[in-house]
Amino acid sequence: MPAFIGTPGPSAFHRLNPVTKLVLALVTTLLAIVVGGVIGPVLVAAVAVLLPAAAARILGRLLHTSLVLSLPIAISVLVVNLFFYPAGVDVLLQLGPIRATAEGLAFAIETLARIGAISGAITLFYLTTPSGELVTDLERRGVAPRIAFVTHASVQTVPAMVERAAAIIEAQRARGLDTEGGILRRARGVLPLAGPMLLGSIAEIEERTQALEARGFSRPGRRTLLWEPADSGRQRALRWALLLTVPLLIGLRAGGWLGWLG
Amino acid sequence: MNGARWLRVMVGIGVGAIAGVALYLFAQEWVLALVVGAIVADVVYALLARWQTGDWAPLRFAAGLVVFAAVALGGIALVGDFGEASDVDPDTFINAKAANTWALILTVAMVAGAIVYFGLELLQTGRLASLASQFTTRTYLLMVIGIAVNIILGQTVAAALKIPIYLDSIGTILVGILAGPIAGALTGGLANVLWSYVIPPPFQYQPAAAFAITAVAIGVIAGLLGRAGFLRPRPDRSTGELLIGGLVTVVLVGAMAAAAVIGYQYIFETDVSLLPSTEGVEWYFVALAWLALALVVGAILGLFALLLLRRDLTAAYVVVAGVFTGVIAALISAPIAAGVFGGVTSSGTDFLVAAFRQAGLDVQAATTGQGLISDPIDKVTTFFTVYLILQAMANRFKARFPQGEQVLPVDEGAGA
Repeated sequence: MPAFIGTPGPSAFHRLNPVTKLVLALVTTLLAIVVGGVIGPVLVAAVAVLLPAAAARILGRLLHTSLVLSLPIAISVLVVNLFFYPAGVDVLLQLGPIRATAEGLAFAIETLARIGAISGAITLFYLTTPSGELVTDLERRGVAPRIAFVTHASVQTVPAMVERAAAIIEAQRARGLDTEGGILRRARGVLPLAGPMLLGSIAEIEERTQALEARGFSRPGRRTLLWEPADSGRQRALRWALLLTVPLLIGLRAGGWLGWLG
Repeated sequence: MNGARWLRVMVGIGVGAIAGVALYLFAQEWVLALVVGAIVADVVYALLARWQTGDWAPLRFAAGLVVFAAVALGGIALVGDFGEASDVDPDTFINAKAANTWALILTVAMVAGAIVYFGLELLQTGRLASLASQFTTRTYLLMVIGIAVNIILGQTVAAALKIPIYLDSIGTILVGILAGPIAGALTGGLANVLWSYVIPPPFQYQPAAAFAITAVAIGVIAGLLGRAGFLRPRPDRSTGELLIGGLVTVVLVGAMAAAAVIGYQYIFETDVSLLPSTEGVEWYFVALAWLALALVVGAILGLFALLLLRRDLTAAYVVVAGVFTGVIAALISAPIAAGVFGGVTSSGTDFLVAAFRQAGLDVQAATTGQGLISDPIDKVTTFFTVYLILQAMANRFKARFPQGEQVLPVDEGAGA
């Protein structure tokens, strides 16, 4: 692997093909939704998220990131469903007109299990896959190079825009913009910030267009890639097996054989 | 629009209106009458365009539209009365809920219409010029900016400001209007998928990928509206024109709201009253309801004030575009929010969902109700923002985009 591309992943799971890891994340997400109840998503998460994470030695980091990410949504789910579940009969707590119900709690726990599994799957994918690798692999498989470019450029533009926003804030503050007043004052400061950032980015489009055209961007057809992530027959078989589990489990669910998962 | 085009539009609307009214008098089904009237109007316009200018493109679009409507109406008729919307069945994953099938039917219909449109174009001309022309190098770069703006603004609103709007479609709509429907659709879809799976925290928002189909629909609608010249500046209009424009806007928005309310009552079998009722309801809910009504009246007055102060008729077009896009987006995203997330996505819209649940509605009805309130407001704001961005861009720069001509003001002096 050329040095300017990066270093290979530290574990076997890291070194899997990006599309394999993506399929794993997507299938885990779908299974967490298909297999209802509480035990189902937890089982799915244990097998498809926690096990690979332990193998890749990022279990601690995964749990930390995934929990931090799902905390706001977890709080919302808990509050909304605990207190505002209309079919709830078994009242646990009463605060004025708002009642906390047992049914609401059960529904909330079910939703939380599902969200936790999905969050874990997504976090596992992004922690083990650099975006450049994914885009290169997609391009090798036939995604149009220009779409691959858009994907990669967007992922890079987000932090770049934020940095630019920080620079604009500093510049505007040097020109007397008030960024520490009350809410109303700060709201008025949004336009002098957003305006230059947005319009500056849009105005750059012209230059960047010419730069890309000069480098043969609009040439039709595939490009030769200097480096591609490795793939193997076994990984291909694994991907197909993973994809087939989804209709399998939908069938099992529809047939009612998953009732034991509660 | 030049004189000949105006004539075609007027004749089309006229014939479509007659067809719609006739159907209503015959069958008493006003939804069907509305849809058929609109289709007939477009087909008549396309036929006239073919006859007068020899251009096949409007006819191909009309064909795609007919297929879209046929598949959508056929799907709705087949699925029947949408089943029991109010029973919460946690055992079967296959919830035959009303709104679930709405989103599926609309998606399938959209795909069918697109296949017919592009298929016809491929058969007639041997190329997909309308698709390829949307994707110039400039478009790709605008898409990059659009996706980045979607993610940054959407994340700021979802994570930091807990207000019941999303503001995650500014990029989608900007690309749609400047580059075309498919470019806008691709921007929306990619932005949502990347936002969930590829962008690292703190900008990652995991629920976003489930709503990718909504973003695709928004992109398509924005592209079509841009092609129709909705966001073309119309400055210095007479007061009469502005007042008529404001009135037409209020009527159209009122019609869409009425359609939404009636549809909501029919599908979810609940009663929706637009005026606050005081029986058996706590005083603070009644107060909130009156406040909401006051906001609506304020918005209408604000629209007229904006029209008369800026003397730009496009403000009215922007409002109509925003409400229309918002209603469609709400209908598509509500079942996703209900089915995948239980109605809660950790954004500011959750408290609206909670309020609906407190009123006794199930998850589907709650998310649909929340969507029908949040989405139109969000999309009107977004369309206004996009309009302001477009006005700040140089004419020469806008003209180089595929649909750039449609956002330039018509120069009366230079001739059509």
